Amino acid sequence: MNSLLNVILTTDFAFSVLRVTTPILFAALGALISNRAGIINIGMEGIMLVSALAGVIVSSYSGSAWVGLLGAVLAGTLIAGILAFFTLQFKTHIILGGVAINMFASGGTVFLLYLLSGDKGSSTSLPSKVLPSIDIPVLKNIPVLGPILSGHHILTYLSIVAVFVVYYLLNRTPLGLRIRSVGENPHAAQSVGVSVVKIQYMALLLSGFFAGLGGAYMSMGYLSLFTRDMVAGRGWIAIAAESMGRSTTVGTALTSLLFGAADALSNALQVLKIPAELIATLPYVATVIGLVIYAVSETRKKNRKVKSPVVK
Amino acid sequence: MKKKILALMLLTVMVLVTACGSGASNNGTSTTNGNQTAEGGETASAGKLKVVLIIPGTLGDKSFFDAANNGLQKVKEELGAETKVVEMGADKTKWEPTFNDIAAGDWDVIISGGSEITEMFNATAEANPDKKFINYDTDIDEAPANMYNMSYATNEVSFLAGAVAALATQSGMPNANKDNVIGFVGGMDIPGINAFLVGYIQGAQYVDPSVKVAVSYAGDFVNPAKGKELSLIQYNSGVDVIFNVAGGTGLGIFDAAKEKKKYAIGVDSDQAALIKDTDAEKANLIITSAIKKIDMAILGAVKKLQNGTLEMGKRDVLSFVDDGIGIAENDIYKNVLPADLQAKADEVKQKLINKEIKVDNAMGMETSEVEAIRNAVKP
Repeated sequence: MNSLLNVILTTDFAFSVLRVTTPILFAALGALISNRAGIINIGMEGIMLVSALAGVIVSSYSGSAWVGLLGAVLAGTLIAGILAFFTLQFKTHIILGGVAINMFASGGTVFLLYLLSGDKGSSTSLPSKVLPSIDIPVLKNIPVLGPILSGHHILTYLSIVAVFVVYYLLNRTPLGLRIRSVGENPHAAQSVGVSVVKIQYMALLLSGFFAGLGGAYMSMGYLSLFTRDMVAGRGWIAIAAESMGRSTTVGTALTSLLFGAADALSNALQVLKIPAELIATLPYVATVIGLVIYAVSETRKKNRKVKSPVVK
Repeated sequence: MKKKILALMLLTVMVLVTACGSGASNNGTSTTNGNQTAEGGETASAGKLKVVLIIPGTLGDKSFFDAANNGLQKVKEELGAETKVVEMGADKTKWEPTFNDIAAGDWDVIISGGSEITEMFNATAEANPDKKFINYDTDIDEAPANMYNMSYATNEVSFLAGAVAALATQSGMPNANKDNVIGFVGGMDIPGINAFLVGYIQGAQYVDPSVKVAVSYAGDFVNPAKGKELSLIQYNSGVDVIFNVAGGTGLGIFDAAKEKKKYAIGVDSDQAALIKDTDAEKANLIITSAIKKIDMAILGAVKKLQNGTLEMGKRDVLSFVDDGIGIAENDIYKNVLPADLQAKADEVKQKLINKEIKVDNAMGMETSEVEAIRNAVKP
């Protein structure tokens, strides 16, 4: 038990939680926006993968990490645009479209990688760039907080800023209001003159934008290269985090952090004498526990509502 | 309605492109088969040896499959054989028909490898007794009379890698620390990976019984971010050299090594050579790699088969003696590892060649035995 605390109560561990959370958080925010507009984008995994590759390719050919980031984000937005085009213009089922995007990304990235670098496994032969990590001037000298919060990758900070931006966007702007109204009742929204298709387009493009940032982080910060299927389920975890966060910005951010922490914990605990298989189940156990707590609290709320008139 | 049809068509195209991307080989396979049947009609010309290599996956992994392909190239150049490589892709349902199609052609020697295909490959060999078959990497002993099986003494090469790691962690090398701890990041907790682990631990303990080994498993072969996380934790806990036995996940280990300025050891092929051109700083931290010399093994087997000296129907475990395994003694190894330590590593290698050292093999071990070995050296 003592050694367990030694593993968890370190600044290294807290630092790694934020690092692990970043890609999940970006994608979860993207999923949140599209979900609030009533359109479930399950193509997050694929969009992240395409963006990860785009970042590597653009940065290696342009020689600039920032141009690479731009390329990654544009690629993510473009793929989301294609998805939106099929779903909203041609009324393809969104789930089918998402599945197609994911399959297309898995194979298409390898195909493109092979065309450009002659490799099918990884981009080690492309001289791609990475975005910098940042030390925050005053903060970095504060004990405990400094080593945890300072020195992160620039996109990690951006993901935290993005939480506030998305919160503001959804709750304080006209676009946010329209996104929410379209999601809750498209017919009502249409009756007051809101173009449902246009708003859903916007929402999907935004979800692609955030997934693009998540993908760029994977290949240009977290790691310095692209490997096939490197997103490894983080897009799906993000969708789970969004729905466990009950489609609220704060809830989504917190559940993303929970998943990140569980994942970081499963990595850290491997140094202890606990079977690796048991540790690997941690993120999923965290999900189940979270869902149980949520279900119990919801049921209680409902029961209270049902009972209250009787008491009167 | 028209719009819907157009949408459906475009989607189909997208899915098709995808299918081609993941298994560009599949198209290749079908055209190959077409050619073959055409060729099969004619009589084999000029008595040239015709050798085909069937890859259960795709080329470009910079490791296992590419090494086999290099072997085939050598067969072509050195033995003047007519060769062809067929990539079957990852879809296992396509493997058996491909094997049958190719066996029906006029190839003299059919080569493939991996434990996954062994059963199918054996069945194909039994159905085609007039052809010769070579399986370049399998753990299974039984083989039909026209099949030659190879495997590699991964436990021995890992023993040597473990010895190098233990020597490095105690050395005055610039990025080595005082802690006597080395690391191991494996893809999964399975016998094939643990064969490396047990050899690695025993090699390290042979050099110094007080060396501890931190062991992590990623549970995944395509998750480099996880590989990086696990390595960062090991490096932070005092590990200064990590043995990568995790496929694509392992590429994250080298990223972590660069970030923390610590050492790593590659696997299967000379992994420093792959990174050297794009990231010399990272490559210089990969002190060596534990290599399976699949290319030489394939060349050797085909050579023997041509001379008629290859013993079919059995499995050979290739070791240092047969030049089937080795560690990468490249420029990085020679420059980074001090000369006296290289001499010590050579000594260990010589003892392995002379069979003075016996290395245990995790392949036949109970899970609990591996567990005990692992726990005995946990830091």
